[in-house]
Amino acid sequence: MNPNPAILAENLVKRYPVFRGFRDLVRRPFERRTTTALDGLDLRVERGRAFCLLGPNGAGKTTLIKILATLVLPDGGRASVDGHDVERQPGPVKNAIGYAINDERSFYWRLTGRQNLEFFGALYGLRGPARDRKIDEVLRLTRLEAAADLRFNAYSTGMRQMLAFARALLADASILLVDEPTRSLDPQAADRIGSFLRGELVEGKGKTVFWATHDLAEAAEFAHEIAVIGRGRIRLQGTVASLTGEGRTSLRQVYEKAVGDPPVSR
Amino acid sequence: MSGGSRTTALLPGRLSAFLRRDFREALTYKFSFLSSFVGILLSSATFYFVAKLVPPGTPSLGPFGGDYFSFAVVGVAFSSLLGMFQEGLSAVIRSAQVSGTLEALLVTPTSIPTVLFGSSLYSLLLQVFRTLLHLGVALAFFGMTLGRVNGPGVLFVGVLTVLCFLGVGVLSASFILVYKTGNPFGWILGTVSGLLGGVVFPVALLPPWIRWVSSLLPVTYALDGMRKSLLASVGFAEILPDIAALAVFNIILLPASLLAFRLAVRKAKKDGTLSHF
Repeated sequence: MNPNPAILAENLVKRYPVFRGFRDLVRRPFERRTTTALDGLDLRVERGRAFCLLGPNGAGKTTLIKILATLVLPDGGRASVDGHDVERQPGPVKNAIGYAINDERSFYWRLTGRQNLEFFGALYGLRGPARDRKIDEVLRLTRLEAAADLRFNAYSTGMRQMLAFARALLADASILLVDEPTRSLDPQAADRIGSFLRGELVEGKGKTVFWATHDLAEAAEFAHEIAVIGRGRIRLQGTVASLTGEGRTSLRQVYEKAVGDPPVSR
Repeated sequence: MSGGSRTTALLPGRLSAFLRRDFREALTYKFSFLSSFVGILLSSATFYFVAKLVPPGTPSLGPFGGDYFSFAVVGVAFSSLLGMFQEGLSAVIRSAQVSGTLEALLVTPTSIPTVLFGSSLYSLLLQVFRTLLHLGVALAFFGMTLGRVNGPGVLFVGVLTVLCFLGVGVLSASFILVYKTGNPFGWILGTVSGLLGGVVFPVALLPPWIRWVSSLLPVTYALDGMRKSLLASVGFAEILPDIAALAVFNIILLPASLLAFRLAVRKAKKDGTLSHF
């Protein structure tokens, strides 16, 4: 059993360069302007949990997920996944994670769902009968067996999101990173996704699901633990019961106090 | 279950997955190969008629066998191939940025160079096939004549040229990773090479004050060596200057391009713009 937490971030800092117009570049060519996305963020996520990262748009959720997925390098502090440093050990980190990218453009639209999974399966190091068995397994788990041989461009939005989970599960990784999985889904489809992530993946398969959302109801219903991020830092972290004082106050009030912005309701 | 228990696939398995993906996608575009074939036929016919204006035995064509049509076909066919090696890698990066698949590729445990090379492999192989088809069409239907082919010369010049242009391709891809568009390497080399690299007329026809620029272009040596090996029935010793020049380009370009690519990936990850377009 790996004694490391699934995810650990210590004093994590990320600043992005600000886009500058031509005139500004000519006037001040050596000036460097940045905007701060993460400002000394600390976070610890234990294994086998459905963990929701709640925060308004622009709070730093996607930046944190991309740092954990090795797609963005931090400017300060450190982060590790499964005990591996994201900056110095990107290879082991990629082996430890499945990243369910919430962008339907990340698939090949003219290929079928199965053909997409065959391709990404090979990139995850799967081949031959083992790859085919794994694809059948993830298609069964995501209930896409009947649609497996349809072209991706014929999938509904909900099916595309499920195929993103199927692709992330090909990795057989212990940690799943999920960025706003229910965005643009209807409430029933969103509930199915929530039940799938917590019921099938966390409770059924023992995985850690790190799940960024700005939907309070979704977090309250499906997360074991919640962290609220605002202006690049974790403002609160705990179970819903502990954060709300066993229901004496609402999650909405806790959230608003933490980030100072009204939440999105479903 | 830990990710470390995952089956490890060899590099050929991953590259063949890229090839299969692109072949399957190409099959869904039914007329692309047909239009490419028609393009080759039209290009060959154009130079066939232009060649009638150039009398056989023109002095500047002497080192290449003396026939303008054969000279032009080798130039056009191989410069298209080299253009693909030069532009193909940056084109796949740009395409993956725009289509949105780049992040999905880069979060897999497949290395970035493998993703880059694998993504362009199908286009590169297709262009090799088109080049052979171009030569085949010219030989079969338009009376192109080959000399006594210098096999080792074709092999040496071909391999060094491909490596050299892959180096330029990696430099272009590095630029696209950071700046997204406006690749100067491809533009400068592509445009200047078309005029000064001896693609459709011999470099010897250029005025001396500009001919020195040709000597800085790898395409000049690539086409000179390839034409002499295919058309002029020369021995290996006579193409050694071309081989030496291409080797020097490789010694400079390959390490420089790999370093540039590493720096470009790091900068794009630092700026958070790896998949931006």
